[in-house]
Amino acid sequence: MSEYTPFEMIAYTGSRVLEDERIVFVGTGLPIIAAMHAQLTHAPNLYMIYEAGSLAPILEMGMPLSVGDTRAARKACYLKGLCGAFELTQRGCADYAFIGGAQVDMYGNICSTIEGHNYDKPGIRFPGSGGAGAMAANCEKTIAIMALEKRRFVKKLDFVTSIGFGDGSPDYREKAGVLGSGPYRVITNQALFGFDEATKRMMLLEVKPGRTPAEIQELVDFELIIPPDVKEMAEPTDEDLRLLRDVIDAEGYFLKRVIKK
Amino acid sequence: MINTVSSNIKNISTLEYKEKKFEYWGPTPDESRKLMVNKSHALKDKRMSLKEAVGKHIRDGINLGIGGFVNTRVPVAIIHEIIRHGARDLTLSFQSNSICPELLAGAMILDPDRVSIKRVELAWWGYEIIGIAPMVRYLATNGIIEMDDYTNYGMSVRFKAASMGIPFIPVRDHGGSDMELVNRGKMIECPFTGKNVYLLPACHPDVGIVHTTAADMYGNARIFGAYCTCPEIAMAANATIMTTEKVIPTESIRSYPNLTEIPFPVVDTVTEVQYGAHPGASYGYYWFDMDHIKMFRSICEDFRKTGNKDALKKYYDEYIFGCENHDDFLEKIGYKTLKKLKDMDGGQPIILT
Repeated sequence: MSEYTPFEMIAYTGSRVLEDERIVFVGTGLPIIAAMHAQLTHAPNLYMIYEAGSLAPILEMGMPLSVGDTRAARKACYLKGLCGAFELTQRGCADYAFIGGAQVDMYGNICSTIEGHNYDKPGIRFPGSGGAGAMAANCEKTIAIMALEKRRFVKKLDFVTSIGFGDGSPDYREKAGVLGSGPYRVITNQALFGFDEATKRMMLLEVKPGRTPAEIQELVDFELIIPPDVKEMAEPTDEDLRLLRDVIDAEGYFLKRVIKK
Repeated sequence: MINTVSSNIKNISTLEYKEKKFEYWGPTPDESRKLMVNKSHALKDKRMSLKEAVGKHIRDGINLGIGGFVNTRVPVAIIHEIIRHGARDLTLSFQSNSICPELLAGAMILDPDRVSIKRVELAWWGYEIIGIAPMVRYLATNGIIEMDDYTNYGMSVRFKAASMGIPFIPVRDHGGSDMELVNRGKMIECPFTGKNVYLLPACHPDVGIVHTTAADMYGNARIFGAYCTCPEIAMAANATIMTTEKVIPTESIRSYPNLTEIPFPVVDTVTEVQYGAHPGASYGYYWFDMDHIKMFRSICEDFRKTGNKDALKKYYDEYIFGCENHDDFLEKIGYKTLKKLKDMDGGQPIILT
């Protein structure tokens, strides 16, 4: 087994959780890579929506560097604008939202708007919702990619940008007027999380080989549900790594990024 | 707000915010309707220089609706002209953008008596793969500009509601997030289903700025690649300034009327500007100029970190104030770069006949 990087593990895990014959609404970076990997391996009939307006493109000009990249429109089946892409989603055609963020809480709510408490003068202003808030509301299932750090897996968010299960009450999403069923998976390079059906709380599903559930809990500020049957995460094979490195992100735009401490 | 239901979200985050009274941040639906009715609806030649177009429509205090999406078909040539012309106290409205609001913000930092931004209604402001947008981080973090947050669908469909001539539109997002608390939308009980549904107010910019693939001299425009929200912005705005890669004969428009995405009555000026979105991309013509965007961004980031404006001033003096028009700007970018960007588009198929 070859060595792999944290980004490669996230992209590979992202690919694993996507099913065939589904539509995934992708965000820039690792979600695009994960979806491309899935298409090349176990999910040849998985299709992407890009929020600038394209459905099911054939990415023969290479990996789009952003969701607005003109390459993401290549040989699409349907090409409109943002309204078209999000209305397909609101109508129920998008199975997965694939998003990221700065903070996540135990109910899968995500912040990507500010750090700090004061909306008018925050500690740090982030770019904002972009498509994420709409994707988390109306794609059927939300998959989030996060760095596994205590300052990101928090008890209380600074700002709820993308709705998860809210405060965990069973009718929260219905009262919020949103349509999708909500958080499905949270992917990090060291652990894969799901959500407990009854309590809506984040639950540990898999850990990276060599790590223990207790070590993962140490990196999370709220209490995780840890079932007795936590599995080991599958690791990318040499062939998976070849696809990721030489075929999908051959220029290393996302997978070769240096992690800033 | 009175008679408002909510999804009762106040205990989820640590957010602190001020309740604001609702107001339109630009023309009201009634004002915008009246203006559209009183416009000439003739098929007349609307071609003019960008300097004339901007001089005619841009003034202090307007709501400026910016077309494109992140780095795609962003109306950079128009933004340069607006900076040369000057415009203070602007309200900006867009879904997701990078270099256009950053250029305006940089101009504000250099000389707020020439260009200034008062507030922004938006979904996202950044450069994606290239990094955060330093100017918005500086201005918004320090509370210098007021922000009003929506999703990309939210902003897009607010322009769409305006383009449909309706005052608001129900949507299935924003509810249950803190955007429900801070933005100007409102949760109501649906009169038919009895369930909660979120309403967003229409967004009518005073001036919409868009760059299109091709248009005739009357403003009938085609867009290839993603439309982004350009048709909706053009139709929502009281006045639309359009640049286009190529002015095509009206005969072509009439041969394939289905291809017209923006109709002539909503367009006020048409200017053919090749590479009008550079350093952004325009499908079928050129890819985005990552090196130029990185260069401008790193100058902005240096300002944010050090407070030193020298390099920023040099950029504006060279690429904006040192140019009479977009051709002068492109000459500084150079033929080899423009040729490379054209090659990188890979000849995506567009229809100009």
